[in-house]
This record gives sequence, C-alpha cells and structure tokens, in this order.
Amino acid sequence: MGRENRFYLWGGLAYFVVLEALLVGAILFWPDFEDNAEALRDFLPAGPLMQSFDQIVAGGVAAYVHGQHFFKGCNTVGTLAAVILAMNAVAGEANRGTLEIWLARPVTRRRLLLERWLGGAAAVTLPVFATTLTIPWLLSRVDTEMALGPLMLGAVHQSLLLLAIYSATFLWSCLTSRPVFIVFGMLLFTVLQFAMYLIQVVTHWSIFRLADIDVYARIGATHALDWRICAPLVLVSAILVAISLVVFARRTP
Amino acid sequence: MSTSTTLDRRIVARGLTRAFGTRTALHPTDLDLGPGGVIGLLGPNGSGKSTLLRMLVGLVRPDAGTALVAGAALQGDGTEIRRLCTYAPGELAVYGELRARDHLAWLLRGRAPGAHARAVALATDLGLPVDARVRTYSHGMKRQMLFAAALAPDVPVRILDEPTEGLDPTKRGTVLDLLAEDARRGTTVLLSSHHLGEVDRVCDRLVFLGAGRKIADETAEAVSQRARKLVRISYAANADLARIEAVLAAIPHTRVARDGVRFSVHLSEADPRAFLAALASAGSIPATVEYGQLSLQELYRELYGVEGC
Repeated sequence: MGRENRFYLWGGLAYFVVLEALLVGAILFWPDFEDNAEALRDFLPAGPLMQSFDQIVAGGVAAYVHGQHFFKGCNTVGTLAAVILAMNAVAGEANRGTLEIWLARPVTRRRLLLERWLGGAAAVTLPVFATTLTIPWLLSRVDTEMALGPLMLGAVHQSLLLLAIYSATFLWSCLTSRPVFIVFGMLLFTVLQFAMYLIQVVTHWSIFRLADIDVYARIGATHALDWRICAPLVLVSAILVAISLVVFARRTP
Repeated sequence: MSTSTTLDRRIVARGLTRAFGTRTALHPTDLDLGPGGVIGLLGPNGSGKSTLLRMLVGLVRPDAGTALVAGAALQGDGTEIRRLCTYAPGELAVYGELRARDHLAWLLRGRAPGAHARAVALATDLGLPVDARVRTYSHGMKRQMLFAAALAPDVPVRILDEPTEGLDPTKRGTVLDLLAEDARRGTTVLLSSHHLGEVDRVCDRLVFLGAGRKIADETAEAVSQRARKLVRISYAANADLARIEAVLAAIPHTRVARDGVRFSVHLSEADPRAFLAALASAGSIPATVEYGQLSLQELYRELYGVEGC
C-alpha cells in the first residue's frame, strides 16, 4: 500500500470511529430523549434550533436519527475530516518540500492529482455510508427500527455536500503552500456557516441548509434524492476538480 | 545498459526562457548536448541552473522555447521526457517515515521492472541501510538514496541537480566514478554542481551559466587550455607596485587584473615563457608564480568574478 493510501486509510478509519461513537451515543440516548422531549425543549432558544427540535419531536425516531447522524455528526465531524484530508494534498507536499520528488516521476500530473482526490474522497464519504449501515442494528438495541433505503439515500446526499467541501479545500491546497492557512480558513468558514444557520434572518444563506432535518425529512418522505440540491453539489465538485487540474498542471515545485 | 540509439541520447534546447514574476530566471538559452558523456552545468547561486534542469524534465514550464530530451519533445507536463530520463532534484526533501527500500520503490514508480532491485543493490553498495527509516538518514545518505534512484533505471539520459552536494570526499568519488562508468556505456549525464573540483574529474564538457544566461559552452579540454593562458604572480608587500604595473602594461598580448599585490595575467597563448622572460628582462621578478595549476574554481573566479563553493 502506498504512503498516500495509508494516510487516507488511517484518516478514514479515525473519522469512522468518531462518527460511529457519536452515533452510538445518540441512538442509546433515544429512549431518554423521547421521554423527556418537553423538558429538553425548555433549554433551547427560540429560532432555527428550536424549529429543528420541534421537527425532530414531530418526526419521531427517523427525524431524530437524521438530525443526530447527518445534520450534527456528519456536518461537523465530516466537514472537519474533509478539510484535514484535503489540506495536505498538494500544499502539504509543497510545505515539506517533497513536491519536486512527487512530480519528478514518470507519471502524469493529471493522474497524480486524480489519484489523490479519489483517495481523499473515498476517505471522506465511505465512513458516512459505513456508519449509516450500522443504524438499523443500533436502533434494534433500543427496540426501534428504521428502513435502510431512505437512510442510504440520506448518506448519498450528505456525501455530496461533504465532497463539495472537500473539493473546495482540495483546490485551495493546489493553490497554496501553507496547509495551516487552509485549516484555519476552512474552520472559520464552517463556524461562520453554522452561526448563520442559527440566526433566523440569514439562516437560508448557510450551506448547512442543504443538509438539515428539513431536507432529510423530504428524502425520507419521497424515498428519492432531492436533485435540486444534489445536481448543483455534483456540478460544483466537478468544476472545483477541473479547476484543480488546470491549476496543478501549471504548478511549479 | 542503455539500448537507445545515439540520436535518442541528446539534450537539445532552443530559446528556453523562464521568468518568475518580474525576475528572469533564465534568458533564452540554447543547448546541444550529447550523445553520451558527462556534461557539467556550472554557475553561482541564482544563475538559473536548477530552473534549466527542471525545465528540461518538464517540472517547470518554459515561457518560451523548445526542448528535446532523449528524442522526446518538451510538451504538456513533460511525462514523456521523464519516461526517458531520470532526474535527481537538488532540494533534499524526502519522506522520513518510509523505509529506504520502500522510498526507492516510491521514487521508481512508472519505471521498468528491475529498476527497484538495481536501486536497492546500488544503495546497499553505497553503504545505505535500506531497511532503516529515511528519517534516521543523514543529509549525505538521503542524497545517495536519491542518486541510487536516479542511476538505477535503464534510460538514455540522466539529469542530476547537484548529485554530490553534502557528500564526503570518498562518497563523492564513488558517485562520480559511477557516473563516469554510466557515461562510458553511452548514457548522457547532465549534472549541475558548485563543487568545481569534481567537474575536473568526470566532465567531458562544461556549460557555464551566470545571471540566467549561458556564458560559455566548451569541452573540458578547451577550458583547460583557457586555464593555461592564465598566470598569477604576486609580489612582496613593499614592492614598487606602480612600477610593476607599468612593466606589465608594457608587455604585449597580455591583459592584467590586480588584486593588492597579486596580478592575474591573461596571455594570448598557452605558453608563459615569453611573458616570464619579458618580466625578468624588466627586472621585475615576482615572489610567486602560479601557472597551469589553476583549478576550475579559480578559473571560475577569473571568468565570472564570483567565488565557487
């Protein structure tokens, strides 16, 4: 196994473990949540957060799982994983001075970059699917059940958002030699986006509106992906990868 | 042993140019090197050596000009050229977490089967512990690992950026012997170096760069001839230097440069006897005379007014 793949394997495994730990805790908490929902509601401020809470209470276990796993777990840990797995793709090599030996081999730059993008993309998305697959079994521990089909559609939707964030970070990595700037920049962006999500007047400008409880409720109800969101996400990722290839082709070690 | 035809072993460049921002790293440069032999690329820091070598292997895109290396044209990202030639970078950055054996395999991705085994054997011969992690290697050991990776594949051209930098004299000699042996099998080796003394030993031809321009491109023998036209003389501190300057100026077919009590005299031919006779007849006997012993380092100083390493 190559050194790059090892990094993606271990990074992906660590991300899976964190995501699964959050999921296990959330699902084991479900009976308590169900029994104490009214009391918990009193702790929440009015606004988008309380609306989300009300949606979960109204939607039952399906809305609870979507909110805990996709909206909370994947949007936070997944975004962090996407940034960490993409930031060093090119900038890390430039920063440690190994860009030259990486490029000096008789392998096309297009191939080098696509291999790296694919490795990271797999590490960002596969844990989302892997953890989602465990949900029915975990729910059976608390005497509840949920169909796997809509959950997997939710995982596809979530993965497309994470891929767009990953691809944006990847492009930034192709443009710079300072991974630390990328990390702080993307974390600032993410915190800002979450803050926007919680503020009523700007909540619709937050990218996390693209993967919140409303969206997963629609997917659950229709048993189909929402292509008004998914298609643009795919297009954005494709454009970002295409720009990355152009930028990388001209990059000087 | 390389199997390419003679024509495929040349390095040809026409008008290669590259600027970084407002600074021109390499002015339009022509090269016509090989087939075969060891060619030294010399120049002080910032003279454009590394930029030129990186352009020849497609790592840096030229702003203008064309190049043909081992029969492959420089186009796109230069992968076709890198299939036909190996490159050892001057920058010594490697993956410390890998074992040398694995690092060599990583460096040799895309090469013919057998290259890795040859590289491991070569590294072992050079005394490298190939099962140790590269982070435990010294600077010189890392340099030798990159050298082993560059020398192992069976290619018609090798381009090496300061392959002996950081090596002790014994290891440097070994590396140069291996390069000379490789060149005897028909491979064209283009190497850059600050260590001008090593160029004396192995290079058949020398290309001098200065401030991004090619200053000279000569055979090693021609450079040696040039060295033999240079006489250095020095006088005691209390000598009548004004009179000595007048005497030197009066001797025909010479060009004189003074540095304190030392004079560098460029003769029109590689025979100093007439000059020394004229000096003696004028009664201006120097304290020391240096002739024919000039290293390339000294020649370099005379040619460009800069110090080599």
